[in-house]
Amino acid sequence: MNASNASQSWVVVADDPAVTGLVEVARAVADEVVAVVVGTRAVADTVAAAVDRVVWLGEPATAPVEAFAPQVAQLVADAAPSAVIGATTPAGRALLGAVAARTQAPVLGGVRTVQVADGRVVVTHAVMGGIAERTVAVEGGPAVLAVDAGAVPAGGAATPVAEVAGAPLDAATVTQVRPKERAGVDLGAAPVVVGVGRGLKAEADLGLIRGLAAAVHGEVACSRPLAEGVDWLPKESYIGISGQHVAPDLYVAVAISGQLQHMVGVRDAKVIVAVNNDKNAPVFGQCDFGIVGDLYQVVPALTAALGGSHD
Amino acid sequence: MGSGRRRAPPDDDVGHIPERHTTMDFTLTDEQELLLSSLDELLERECPESYIAELDLHHESATSFRKALHEAGFMSLGFPEEYGGTPCDAVTLVLLAERVCRQGLNNGFGLELLQAMDILEFGSEAQKQEILGLLANGRVPFALGFTEPGAGSDNSAMTTSAVHHDGLVTFNGTKTLITAALQSKYLLVMAKNPDTEDPRKAISMYLVPMDAPGVTTNRLEKILWYTQDSCEIFLDDVTLPEEDCLVGVKGNGFKQLMRNFEMERLVIAATCLGQAQCAFDDAAAYAAQRVQFGQPIGNFQLTQLKLTDMAIKLENMRNFVYKTAWMLDRGLPLKSQGALCKRYCAMSGFEVADDALQIFGGVGVTVGARISRLWRDLRGHRFGGGTDEIMVHIAGRQIVKDHS
Amino acid sequence: MKIVVAYKWAPNPQDLEVRADGTVDASRGKPAVSEYDPVAFELARRLADETGGEVVGLTVGAAAIDTPLARKAALSRGLDRLVLVADDALVGADSTRLAAVLAAAVRAIGDVDLVLAGDSSVDVAEGQVPLTTAAELGWLGLGRVTAVSPATDGLVVERDTPAGVAVLTVRTPVVLAATADAVVPRVAGMKDILAAAKKPVEVLALAALDVPAPAVTLATLGTAKPSGGDRQAVLFDGADPAAAASQLVGALRSAGVL
Repeated sequence: MNASNASQSWVVVADDPAVTGLVEVARAVADEVVAVVVGTRAVADTVAAAVDRVVWLGEPATAPVEAFAPQVAQLVADAAPSAVIGATTPAGRALLGAVAARTQAPVLGGVRTVQVADGRVVVTHAVMGGIAERTVAVEGGPAVLAVDAGAVPAGGAATPVAEVAGAPLDAATVTQVRPKERAGVDLGAAPVVVGVGRGLKAEADLGLIRGLAAAVHGEVACSRPLAEGVDWLPKESYIGISGQHVAPDLYVAVAISGQLQHMVGVRDAKVIVAVNNDKNAPVFGQCDFGIVGDLYQVVPALTAALGGSHD
Repeated sequence: MGSGRRRAPPDDDVGHIPERHTTMDFTLTDEQELLLSSLDELLERECPESYIAELDLHHESATSFRKALHEAGFMSLGFPEEYGGTPCDAVTLVLLAERVCRQGLNNGFGLELLQAMDILEFGSEAQKQEILGLLANGRVPFALGFTEPGAGSDNSAMTTSAVHHDGLVTFNGTKTLITAALQSKYLLVMAKNPDTEDPRKAISMYLVPMDAPGVTTNRLEKILWYTQDSCEIFLDDVTLPEEDCLVGVKGNGFKQLMRNFEMERLVIAATCLGQAQCAFDDAAAYAAQRVQFGQPIGNFQLTQLKLTDMAIKLENMRNFVYKTAWMLDRGLPLKSQGALCKRYCAMSGFEVADDALQIFGGVGVTVGARISRLWRDLRGHRFGGGTDEIMVHIAGRQIVKDHS
Repeated sequence: MKIVVAYKWAPNPQDLEVRADGTVDASRGKPAVSEYDPVAFELARRLADETGGEVVGLTVGAAAIDTPLARKAALSRGLDRLVLVADDALVGADSTRLAAVLAAAVRAIGDVDLVLAGDSSVDVAEGQVPLTTAAELGWLGLGRVTAVSPATDGLVVERDTPAGVAVLTVRTPVVLAATADAVVPRVAGMKDILAAAKKPVEVLALAALDVPAPAVTLATLGTAKPSGGDRQAVLFDGADPAAAASQLVGALRSAGVL
């Protein structure tokens, strides 16, 4: 294995042009940022605006992104960068997993800060689902990091895209993609988000929540049980440890107990408000403001106080 | 009979108490832990409070929950293996019954199992298959038709007759306060051969379809146990082939009935324990958060007194139920243990619910409050399944007999 | 079809205590089959029943993961048999190390067609291990799987993508990580629980497995409680909803978020 190329960090892109989060971390670690892109030409071109060099593995055709993971890992291993950054999405983690297996390196997630000190990459990250934080220095190979992908980079001076013949595992073929029935919502971009949890008794009561969201010009989100348990809201609305992570100016948690599996998804919100009828709910220890009361009275009152009406 | 105290066997070495001295093990087995956590999952999915409250409001039966219990295999506990069952001990059965009832569901688990076991023990193949099929669909397989207007605690005073003739049996009589008959396919009738003198030998057990010609019912509205209906049943020359309706041996009705009665008393006791625990937990949580005069009412001594004595009763009930089940499992003669246990648990269970209701105050008697349902439902067990007073009759005689 | 269900036996971090210095006290936590793993057990059992196959449970971790209760808890979920690697050398092992051991165990089991896993563990919740395990095995690994059914030469797999539900034909062997709501897993049935104690269990020695040595190590420089948790928690009493609402709106306006 080559000596670590300290001035280079690699970003692995899994067919998603949203890379600003990855690049930000990559730049904190090295001077030169190289992106290896699995996906369409359009993705490769978009990513090119944000990095210094792009290696593109060609049109994937019917091969799934994950089939290119071994090839990505080989390219990364050959380059021996000081850090490899990928998205926390399943496809991103598939690529990172291959890099990790090839380099026998741990994959660090829950990343809070990344810097270089004494020639080593130093990472502060959340562990055990977010209940604690640890600062580590990476030794013996690249720092392999899973971070929030960020946004689609704005257009810029186009970096040349070098195409390499793709060599995916010949193991799977995508035969069909059925479009989603419900339109997704970009929670990441919303300045205000209203989240609802298990305390909501019936699906019909979502109208109350939507009314509040409208009055505060925000989007509706939820904790995991409402998206994956009873299916009242689409999966994209689920904020939590394995769902969306958002950092709005204002997050209003209605009927959410405050379990860490959900709250880690909103910890970077500027202001958190909680509405819950249990004064001992953990959420009241993690909010800036809160109302202890029955949501069926408090939410309409809030909506009215904000000048809105509920449906 | 020697009166000297038995000397304890010497310890093997100083400071180490050999295992034979420490035989009281109150821990659950791994299997019991796993069964209970699986049951917890099932209860969370299929029997939340909102479900029970709806059933209670509309006077409906917990059919979908019982069906889910069956699908997870809980409805064939204790059945013989050839009928798809798994042998089960009494301790495990009461643990499960307690847990279901702790969810707040009256008569939530156990009784229909035991009733079915009567048929599996004594019934014909056709009868067995019929009952098992009904259980599989979440239905209560049959209602117990014993009580009559003139025969409650004194059930040998029953007058419903079963006349055998030409391979048929004709029933005439009235049963009353029969639980769950309107939702059951069959009635397990205890009826007398009018020609037999000795009531102990006159009574036989029969499986009568509720839709047989001559069977009419009159629904009785009660103030409790809404998830089980009650009715009068009139048998008017109801005639059925003997081989279809007779269960077991003619004249053995009483003996067959007594087969599982200790276990039934125990399940009722476990039901009371579970629901009382539910009432206690509700009341304690309420006391901790209801603020009056600037502090939680749980800070006041009179509330704490109630809660403390409730906790003591629950501990007693639990130990009583588990110990009695343990005795059954060990094959130890129960004598009056079952009667003592049932009496204590029914009475104390209601006392716990009553104190819980007092802690809630006015809010507790609103229809939406769970405690109001628990209070009503627990009251019924002081006469259902054997009255408090009959338990005295059973135990009292036994105590005097043992000391003479 | 030989199916391995890779699951985790671990406590819910909610039940653990974090000391002031940020180290975690695991003594109070009660371990269980990780919350989102039952889905994998259910899919495996259904697939095995359809194809006449075998379901082998697999878990790796510290020595403490091997207890009678732990074995039975897994075996009561539709497994035919169970394989364990329980060694204190794996205390605090990271996702790559766990994946390397899992892969070595899968190789030791031999002739495995499919490894099924949940999409994230209850304690670490990253969804990384199944995908790294696939790479360690040299197999394809797919996440966010919502359905899997047998096909003539492999499997038909459905999985969730941002664009919609993708349908793939997949050749075995493969690693699939299923979403928590792919199917509603049955609760552990009474018969399975009572029969669990009699099912075969094999413990593989870590030292005997062919596991690559870790190349990259982490030097811990410090631990801490999570930052960003000092919120002032000003609470209003909702007994008078209108008053509380008006106070809250006022406070939010002062804070500049409204």
